[in-house]
Amino acid sequence: MFIRLALKSLLNRKGSVLLTLMAMTVSIFVLLGVEHIRNQAQDSFNSTVSGVDLIVGARTGGLNLLLYSVFRIGSPTNNISWDSFQKIAHQPKVAWAIPVSLGDSHKGYRVMGTTAAYFKHFSYANQHKLDFAKGKAFSDIFDVVLGSEVAKQLGYSLGDKVILAHGIAKTSFSMHDDKPFRVVGILSATGTPVDQTLHVSLQGIEAIHIDWQHGVKLAKSTVTPEQLKQLTLEPKNITAFMLGLKSRLAVFSVQRNINNFSAEPLTAILPGVALSELWQMMGMLENTLRLISVLILLSALLGLSAMMLASIRERRHEVQLLRVIGAPPIFIFLMIELEALLICLLSTGLATALLYLSLVIASDFLTSGFGLHISINILSGNNILLILIVISLTILAAAIPSLSAYKNAKKDGIH
Amino acid sequence: MIIDLQNVQFSYPETPDKNILNIDSWSVAKSEQILIYGSSGTGKSTLLNVLSGMLDVPNGKVSVLGQRLDQMSTRQRDQFRANHIGYVFQQFNLIPYLDAIDNIQLANHFSKHRKRETIRKDIQELLSELNLSSLDWHKATSKLSIGQQQRVAIARALINNPELLIADEPTSSLDQQNRDKFMSLLMSLVAEHNISLLFVSHDMSLSRYFNRVDTLSDINKPEAYA
Repeated sequence: MFIRLALKSLLNRKGSVLLTLMAMTVSIFVLLGVEHIRNQAQDSFNSTVSGVDLIVGARTGGLNLLLYSVFRIGSPTNNISWDSFQKIAHQPKVAWAIPVSLGDSHKGYRVMGTTAAYFKHFSYANQHKLDFAKGKAFSDIFDVVLGSEVAKQLGYSLGDKVILAHGIAKTSFSMHDDKPFRVVGILSATGTPVDQTLHVSLQGIEAIHIDWQHGVKLAKSTVTPEQLKQLTLEPKNITAFMLGLKSRLAVFSVQRNINNFSAEPLTAILPGVALSELWQMMGMLENTLRLISVLILLSALLGLSAMMLASIRERRHEVQLLRVIGAPPIFIFLMIELEALLICLLSTGLATALLYLSLVIASDFLTSGFGLHISINILSGNNILLILIVISLTILAAAIPSLSAYKNAKKDGIH
Repeated sequence: MIIDLQNVQFSYPETPDKNILNIDSWSVAKSEQILIYGSSGTGKSTLLNVLSGMLDVPNGKVSVLGQRLDQMSTRQRDQFRANHIGYVFQQFNLIPYLDAIDNIQLANHFSKHRKRETIRKDIQELLSELNLSSLDWHKATSKLSIGQQQRVAIARALINNPELLIADEPTSSLDQQNRDKFMSLLMSLVAEHNISLLFVSHDMSLSRYFNRVDTLSDINKPEAYA
């Protein structure tokens, strides 16, 4: 009877209730959406690299090195010489080393030159190694291994020919079209920048640049693939490299050692530390978004409260009538609270459905545009807590009109 | 005694100096059907609020159906009203967005006579007795005519088998023909269910239905209180 009364009362005031419902839905949608995306972004962010003890590049800021080596954002300040890499890679404390050579692209996706050690040692998220969905690692000079997103978006499968472009612009005019690569492997999705990367061997990178000078292709290609195989394609430079140490305890001494490397100026960073530094920089933005969504929620709640308060005036006779048939004042209080709660629950339901729908629709765009893998499981721990907070706040906001109705019910007789 | 008031004084907290009720002694016996003649501004609403237990009376004895309302808490008076008193107003007798059945059931909800199995049947019998067509049972009461609404209001007032029915000018919004129908229906129902009726009106032409007629200004003399 109680719920029925509240429901019919709300239905009786369709206009104002509907508008309040919409305001609440939008605000809860924003609140849950911001929180969910923030959470997911942080997760996907922190899981981009793991198991790598140090990342080494030319002397630069730690964030810059992290951004170009792991996130493939921005450009390296300088290259480092192959000799330095070799020296450091053969230090006794180093277990493995993965060289990284960047600078070419394919249809907007970055190309990374590396060695087979990458597939063996690089890991992401919770020490997940890279898996091959199809095929295997590169073995020939002109073999390429695609990230899952590259293969999916460009529709490549094993055996397809891929022409790399010089530089990292989405439309490049200088193509390495004389030396196409062949797809030999496609990685499983990782939810990290790996998905947006084409992996080739360092020799491949060398080979496509062999008859180039100063970044410009010479008019006539003189070297045939057969001749290439005779050459020792040892790179002179690489962009950065990742190190795994035999003991993690040695990480600071190796880092100091590299930072003081005498042959050339180098920077070594701990990826975990750099990741959290980077995330802290985004903290400002994150908190601003949170603040805005909280303010939107507060304004919607005040709107709800104002709507209910206005309705109390209209419903004076109704309240008197309920009192006359024996309803205690607390019943009046609870009735108004219940109405507000019903609006809140309905809005939460609508907002969750809306958010779910939006994520399903937007997930492709977020993945290709921002490399963000957003799970559509909205009702994770944090959001359930948020919903409970929203419900509590609604009860609090509705207490204003409820108390007003309660007081009237208590002192008013019949007029 | 159905009603027994002794030395009742009442003023609203906002205007403590202005006495609204001052009743020395006034009582109604069980068999009486009483019409109180009085218009607004003579303490009519306040008297009805006191008798139904809506207002707390600090001074004097208020006994209704043998129970001392002045000694009860607000909660007890609410409960008492739900269980023992039926109330019909001039207007706004029903929750406009609920249908007749829900309105009546709601009144039952707050009383100790609350019953689950037979309530629907009881309501339907009562509504039939009040000549409300079953086609109108499930319409929002705001869609019913004034005459129909007042009949639903009687049904709502009677559903908990009250001993006392208080009617506050229930006929003033009805036309002559409807008023006569309403009155004879009301009188036959109170007789049949053995209910005492306290009826307030400023229409003296209704006095023929009652066996006792009091004038409010004779009962209540607020200016006499010093």
